[in-house]
Amino acid sequence: MESFSGFLALALVKATPLIFAALAGTICERAGILNIALEGALTVAAFAAVAVSFATGSPLLGLLAAVLASMLLCALLGIAATRFGVDQIVAGTGLNLLAAGGTAFALVVIFGQPGASPEVHALGDGGERALIVCAFACALVLQLVLDRTPWGLRVRACGENPRALLSAGVDPRRLRVVATLVGGALAGLGGAFLSLGELDIYSDGMTSGRGFIALAAVIFGRWMPLGAAGAAIAFGALSALQFVLQRAGVPSELMQSLPYLAALAALTGIVGRARAPAADGVSLD
Amino acid sequence: MTARARAYGGPALGAIVLLAIAAGAMALAGANPIDGFAALVHGALGGTDQICETLVQTTALLFPSLAVAFAFRAGLFNIGAEGQLVMGGLCAGLVGAALAVPGWIAIPAILIAGAFGGAAWGGIAGALRARFGGNEVIATLMLNIIAGLLANYLVVGPLHAPDATGAETSELPASSWLPLLIPDTRLSIALVLGIALAAFLAFVFRSTVFGYELRAAGDAPEVARRAGINLPRTAFVAMTLSGAIAGFGGATIVAGVLHRFDVELSPGYGFIAIAVALVGGLDPLWIVLASFVFGILQSGSLSMQAFAHVPKDVVTFVEGLAILALATRRFVAPRTAAS
Repeated sequence: MESFSGFLALALVKATPLIFAALAGTICERAGILNIALEGALTVAAFAAVAVSFATGSPLLGLLAAVLASMLLCALLGIAATRFGVDQIVAGTGLNLLAAGGTAFALVVIFGQPGASPEVHALGDGGERALIVCAFACALVLQLVLDRTPWGLRVRACGENPRALLSAGVDPRRLRVVATLVGGALAGLGGAFLSLGELDIYSDGMTSGRGFIALAAVIFGRWMPLGAAGAAIAFGALSALQFVLQRAGVPSELMQSLPYLAALAALTGIVGRARAPAADGVSLD
Repeated sequence: MTARARAYGGPALGAIVLLAIAAGAMALAGANPIDGFAALVHGALGGTDQICETLVQTTALLFPSLAVAFAFRAGLFNIGAEGQLVMGGLCAGLVGAALAVPGWIAIPAILIAGAFGGAAWGGIAGALRARFGGNEVIATLMLNIIAGLLANYLVVGPLHAPDATGAETSELPASSWLPLLIPDTRLSIALVLGIALAAFLAFVFRSTVFGYELRAAGDAPEVARRAGINLPRTAFVAMTLSGAIAGFGGATIVAGVLHRFDVELSPGYGFIAIAVALVGGLDPLWIVLASFVFGILQSGSLSMQAFAHVPKDVVTFVEGLAILALATRRFVAPRTAAS
C-alpha cells in the first residue's frame, strides 16, 4: 500500500461485494428467511456475469445476467421454504452445493477448461465506481424502505410475527419470496462486482466465503441495512489491511478469521445485545 | 409437486427426476448420458479396486453423515461437520506424527485425539447455543471457515513439518496406520468402525433414556422442557458428540487413507453429509446404505470425467438438488419456534 488513499480505495473495492451481500442477507432475515445460500448466490452471479459477457461481448448484459441468476437461486430458496415446507437451512446448504457444482460444471462446458475462465470484457473503472456508489445508495434506500414504507413495515412484521401479518390480510409466504428476490438482486450485483468489476475473469471458489462474511455483517449490523453496510465496510477494510499487516508479520489466516471470530463473539452478546428477528429462519407452518 | 404426488410417488419420482437432470447435464457436456452413467458405475463398481475405493468414500461420508443426523435428531442443525472433520483430522495428524509408540497404543490415541478435536469444535457451537441462545447454524458456518484457516496456519506456520510438501503434517509411522481390510487398497478397518458406530447409535436412539431425551428435545422441545429435560444441556451435549463423531471420521481419513493430515483432506464431505443424512432418513442404519450410494457417486465421478468427458462437478450439482428435493418435512421438521 503506497498511501492512505490507496488503502481506502482498496478497502472500498473489498467492501463493495460484502455490502451488497450483507444487504441481501438483511432484507431476507428481516422477512424471516435466514439465507445461507448467499455464498451460492454470489457464485452463480459472478459466473453468469462472465459467461454472458463472454457470449455477447457486453459486460452490461453480464451484469443483468448476474442479477437474474442470483434472483433465480434465491427465489428457489424462498419458494422451497414457503411452498414446499423445506427447511431454510437445509435448502440453503443444498443451493450452495448446487451453485458450486453447477458453476464448476458449466465452466468446463462453456469455456472448455476447469478452474478459471479466460478474460472477458469487464465493466471497467467507470462501471466499478458506479457499482461502489450503487452499494452505498442501496444501503440508504433499503434502510428508508424498511423504516418508512408500508412494504418495509410488512417485511419487518413478517420477520417478527408472520401470523399477525396473515390476520392483517397479507400473505407472509409471498412476502418472503419477494424478499428473497430483492435479496437475490442485491447479491447478484455483488457477484457481478467480484468477477466483472474488480476483475475480468471467473475462477472456481472466487467468492471465498464472502456470503458467510455477509451473514456475520448482518448480525454485527443488528439486522439494519446501514448497520450491515457499516460492518461490511469494516470487514472490507480488514481485508485491505491484511496486505499491509502481512508484511509486518501478522499471519494472514488470523486477519481472514477476524470477521468469523467477530460473528461468534456477536452470538455471545458481548458486543451489545443484538437480537435476530423473532421469526428469522422459522417456518411458516 | 403437489401434496398428493409427494405422499405417493415422492421418493421414486425424485430419484427419476434427479437421474433425468443428471442425464441432461451429461448431454449438455456433449456426452451420451448412457456412456456417462456406464463410466460412473464402472468406475465405482467395476472391479475389486473400484469397489474398495467406493467403500473408502463411503467411510469418509459415513462419519460426518452420522454426525449430522445425530444433531438433527436432537433438533440441531450441524452445518459444521466439515470444520469438525478438519479439526479432528488436524488433531489426529499432529498426535499421530508425534507419537512413536506401538500401533495398539498409537491408533486408539490418534482416533481419540480426532474425536476430541471434533468435539471441541462442535462443543463451541453447542456452548454458544446453550449459554447464549446463539444460532448454531451461524456458529457452525463460521467455525467451518475458521477451522480451515487455523489448520492451514498451524501446518504451514508454527507446526510446519520438515518433510511436508504442502499444507500437511509429517507422515504417520507405518505402525500407526489403520490396518487394511483388503491388502494393496486404501480400504481400512475404518469402514467396520463406522458401521459399528451406526449400529451403536441406532441402539442409543431406540433403546436408551439418553437417546429418548435427544429425540424429545428435537421433536417436541416444549414438551421435553416441561418433562424436565434440560434443553440447553442437551443442545451442548448433542453438538459436542456430533462434533466428536465427525472428528473421529477425520481421524480415520488421516490414519487410514492419507497417513498424514492435509488441509484438503475433505472435498466437502461435511456438506455432502447433509444430503446423505436426509437420504438415510436420519436413521443410522439407512445412513450406512445412503453413504454407499453417495460413495458410488464420489468415486465414480472421476472415471465419468476421464472416460465420458463429463465434468465431475455434475455430481456436486445433483447432490445439491437431492438435498433440496429430499428436505421435506417428513425427514426434518422445519423450525417452528424461535430457536
